[in-house]
Amino acid sequence: MLEVEHLAVSYGPTRILEDVSFAVPEGQVVSLLGGNGSGKTTVLNALCGMVRPDGGSARIAGEDCTGRRPDEILRRGVAQVPQGREVFATMTVAENLEMGAYARRDRDGVRRDTERVLALFPRLREKARRRAGTLSGGEQQMLAVARAMMSGPRLLLMDEPSVGLAPAVLGDMVATIRALRAEGMTILLVEQNVGVAAAVADTAHVLRGGRIVHSGPAARLLGDEEVLRSYLG
Amino acid sequence: MTVRPLWVGLAAALALAVLPLVANPYLLFVGNQLSIFVILAVGLNLLVGYCGQLAFAHAALFGIGAYGTALLKVHLGVPFAVSLPCGALLATAVGLAISLPALRLSGLYLSLATLAFAQFTLWVFLHWEPVTFGAGGFRVPAPSWPIPGVTAGIGTFYLALALAVLLTLAAASLVRSRLGRAMIAVRDGEVAAQALGVDLLRTKAMAFGLSAFYAGVAGGLQALMLGYVAPESFDLFHMALMKAMIVVGGLGSIAGSVVGAGAVLFLLEGLRAFKGAQEIAFGALLMGAVILAPRGLAGLLDRLPGWQERYLRAAPAERAPAAAVPREAPP
Repeated sequence: MLEVEHLAVSYGPTRILEDVSFAVPEGQVVSLLGGNGSGKTTVLNALCGMVRPDGGSARIAGEDCTGRRPDEILRRGVAQVPQGREVFATMTVAENLEMGAYARRDRDGVRRDTERVLALFPRLREKARRRAGTLSGGEQQMLAVARAMMSGPRLLLMDEPSVGLAPAVLGDMVATIRALRAEGMTILLVEQNVGVAAAVADTAHVLRGGRIVHSGPAARLLGDEEVLRSYLG
Repeated sequence: MTVRPLWVGLAAALALAVLPLVANPYLLFVGNQLSIFVILAVGLNLLVGYCGQLAFAHAALFGIGAYGTALLKVHLGVPFAVSLPCGALLATAVGLAISLPALRLSGLYLSLATLAFAQFTLWVFLHWEPVTFGAGGFRVPAPSWPIPGVTAGIGTFYLALALAVLLTLAAASLVRSRLGRAMIAVRDGEVAAQALGVDLLRTKAMAFGLSAFYAGVAGGLQALMLGYVAPESFDLFHMALMKAMIVVGGLGSIAGSVVGAGAVLFLLEGLRAFKGAQEIAFGALLMGAVILAPRGLAGLLDRLPGWQERYLRAAPAERAPAAAVPREAPP
């Protein structure tokens, strides 16, 4: 679904990504792990078209999409759940979902997806008329995922969904990602929380200093002392 | 009982419409100024309240509308029917032009850049004397209306009132439109909006342009009403006045813009005798609003039983039964 090859990104004179290559096979959850400043979010921004890479390529379903605009990437079936959720606080839950389908013109498809997403997140249906800003952190995270799903994506990019969530709701987050995977969604999960990544991802890549320093099955991550040590620095 | 902001607004406009029959010239002036303030406040709220762009160029654009309208008449003899739209379009064009560099800035930097532009505009009004007549300003001939029996003042009064009603209704429907929703999304979460396919540059530029158009129309009307244009009417104090209207009225609320414009005008006229006290009073008003009523008067209006100002268009449940979103149970 997604193939990233030799991706390099600089902000001015500062190299953020040196040479990043990985793939996200269809129907799988792939996690990109790394500490602060490792370049995780920059990978996502480059994939979404918010940052122009100065080297390498990103292919979505076989098509080279390197350096395209955000709306063009979106039209090719890539949706993003931004860091810190960024729900539209003054809009209601229902309006947030509508906003998720902003770029779409097929009303029937949008209606179907609304139903699908609300079936996946029954709590959002209960609170459809509440302002998003009044939801709890866990609910806002759900809404951010649901909103991204409203664009009808084939690939979901999630930027640190576990940040700022109470430990008690982390389980909900894990369940959400599993449910999406069960529906056949392909997911690239950028995380700092090894536990969450190990619980949901098929494959994990560890990013450090703008390079991938380790790749392997996610389930083995938690037991792998060496990886954890290198990851924690 | 449901109190619709629309009906209240139209009732107020109707009340204003009969004012010339009973009022003295001073009250007529205040009523006319109210229409102009409403246009200014609604336009500024589109940019600041709905799109979240804290710009300080509104008074300058108001001035460009006024100078554009009046100078076309004075220098070239263009009739007001043409010069007023031209003044408004000039303000719109300038608004769009400043939006281009401003789009790369946000927050405090946007404020500073637009403030610098406003000061530059004022400088041009003051020093481009061959065209703008400098600090003393200039007189604008009174408009003549083709309808017999209608004096210059009354004609301008009704034109301003009609435009205020029209532009307020247009804004209320705009914020429910696709563009309006994109503006609100940009305010609430730029990154998320962009990720969902909202064109940030286009949306912000539209907000700047629309807001400038409102300011330009208001400027043209101001020139018609006063028959006199001078730089001091478009300085920072007036920018603060406009900010006060939308902060006191309520950011992100059309009804709030209208009420805020009225509140500021009321205070401004009430303090007319105490020039020095005006600025202190407005400072106190602004701070009081920020501390005591952060949502402004619109926040109080929302507490009226049945008062509903819809910032956005109806939720899916109300349009399409297929998207079965349950109504919230009544409390």
